[in-house]
Amino acid sequence: MHEMVQTLEETASTEVSQAAIEVADVDFCYGRSRALKDISLKVPKGEIIAFIGPSGCGKSTLLRCFNRMNDLVPGARVTKGEIHVNGVEIHQPGVDPVELRRRVGMVFQKSNPFPRTIYENVAYGPRLAGPVEKSDLDDVVEGALRGAALWDEVKDRLDESAFGLSGGQQQRLCIARTIAVKPEIVLMDEPCSALDPVATAKVEELILELKKDYTIVVVTHNMQQATRISDLTAFFYLGELVEFDRTSAIFTSPKRQETEDYVTGRFG
Amino acid sequence: MRSNTPHIIREFDEAFLSLGGKVSTMAGQTRINLERSIQGLLNRDIDLCRAVIADDADVDETEREIDAEGLDILMRYHPVASDLRKVISSMKVAANLERISDHAVNIAKRAKKMISRPLVSEAKLIEPVYSLADALLRDAVAAYIDSDSGLGASLKLRDKELDKADKRTTARLSELLEEGGENAELFLHLVFVVRSLERVGDLAVNIGEDAVFLDLAEDIRYRRKAAVAIVKEHPVGNADEDPVQPGQEGDEGERAGESTGSGNE
Repeated sequence: MHEMVQTLEETASTEVSQAAIEVADVDFCYGRSRALKDISLKVPKGEIIAFIGPSGCGKSTLLRCFNRMNDLVPGARVTKGEIHVNGVEIHQPGVDPVELRRRVGMVFQKSNPFPRTIYENVAYGPRLAGPVEKSDLDDVVEGALRGAALWDEVKDRLDESAFGLSGGQQQRLCIARTIAVKPEIVLMDEPCSALDPVATAKVEELILELKKDYTIVVVTHNMQQATRISDLTAFFYLGELVEFDRTSAIFTSPKRQETEDYVTGRFG
Repeated sequence: MRSNTPHIIREFDEAFLSLGGKVSTMAGQTRINLERSIQGLLNRDIDLCRAVIADDADVDETEREIDAEGLDILMRYHPVASDLRKVISSMKVAANLERISDHAVNIAKRAKKMISRPLVSEAKLIEPVYSLADALLRDAVAAYIDSDSGLGASLKLRDKELDKADKRTTARLSELLEEGGENAELFLHLVFVVRSLERVGDLAVNIGEDAVFLDLAEDIRYRRKAAVAIVKEHPVGNADEDPVQPGQEGDEGERAGESTGSGNE
């Protein structure tokens, strides 16, 4: 699969390959209910993109389309359009969803560490990829924990249960677990909604740090968080992409009245 | 872009209403102060001059209240988009109004000194300059309150007329100064009064720029061409005269307070 993807990437057009994710005219349905309507957008490589909008607007649905997490929901499917990840249309036959999810990692609203040690949580993904020397695995685990700004806090208790960590530490452990398999894109679905302000600040700082190596798409209900961390912001309403622009433009001079009303707290 | 839809948090709207009301109040106080300073000078009314000097404290206090309320809104509601521009522009307009009131005080102080001397007919020379400055101030406040970017941008272009009146009047007063005589000191006071009025015009232009920022999120400071474009796109309601005069379009202006200073002497 990976070789196939690489071949496809090589043959992808220049324009498409410049975008980490390109969505073209996508409709998505849960059964008969149309959750996304004719969505088109390009997520540039190496940027942080925030998806905002009221509950039920389709932002999490679109996020989950990017690594086909919606495949796991009965009756849910893309009914129109294409989604390219690094130039590859992810619904074409032969694309392995498991491999896709390694390349497009995901962090969820609630931290969900495995009932294992801190070390095992991070080592799990790299082990799945194939046999690996213990010393190499140690390096991968340390690198991922450092990347998630957690190493200094856990290096002396790697063999302890992950459940002994605080909520913020657990969320950063989940981020470490995600980046341990070296994805190209990281999706985050309200990653700080269950965290206190200090833990939120640490995760936000981490997201900004991760931008050096990854393209990041974040769903958030927190407007201030979107302004703090994202380069681009997409506003969704009733399954439609209303406006997609630089974050500074969305929060100082939005072009659409719906965006203005939403970001200024006039509806939601 | 603005919205007429109320905020979900009602207190947010109430805070905005209060802030806008205070800016309107301050604009009224300032304009009355300026008018009374000129009346005090021309009618040789020393009580009016004293009132202007005393009432400046009210303007200062209103500016402090506007800043405090603006800061409170920023802290409590984290405004964005047009709401953020409203808070920022309100605080900037208040700073400009405070300086205009300071110029009214300058005029009143000079009027007090002039009243102790015999009347000179040349005092009437300031009337057309005052009329132009007051018209700019009136329209600047209206542009801000109505978020009227066309009217706000037009002030940048109309200020040329005040500048010309200032130069013309100052040149005449300078001639009288050079002639010397016992009224030389009075003519010098009048030169400074005219200068204050010219500065009022510049500060009104600043308020007009704030109105444009409030309405369109566009910064037209130092950008006369941008002002011309906005006036063309958003024509001023009273379009009897075209504020865009030939030869003005490429002329980038300087802002009040940036190079020549202002405030109480």
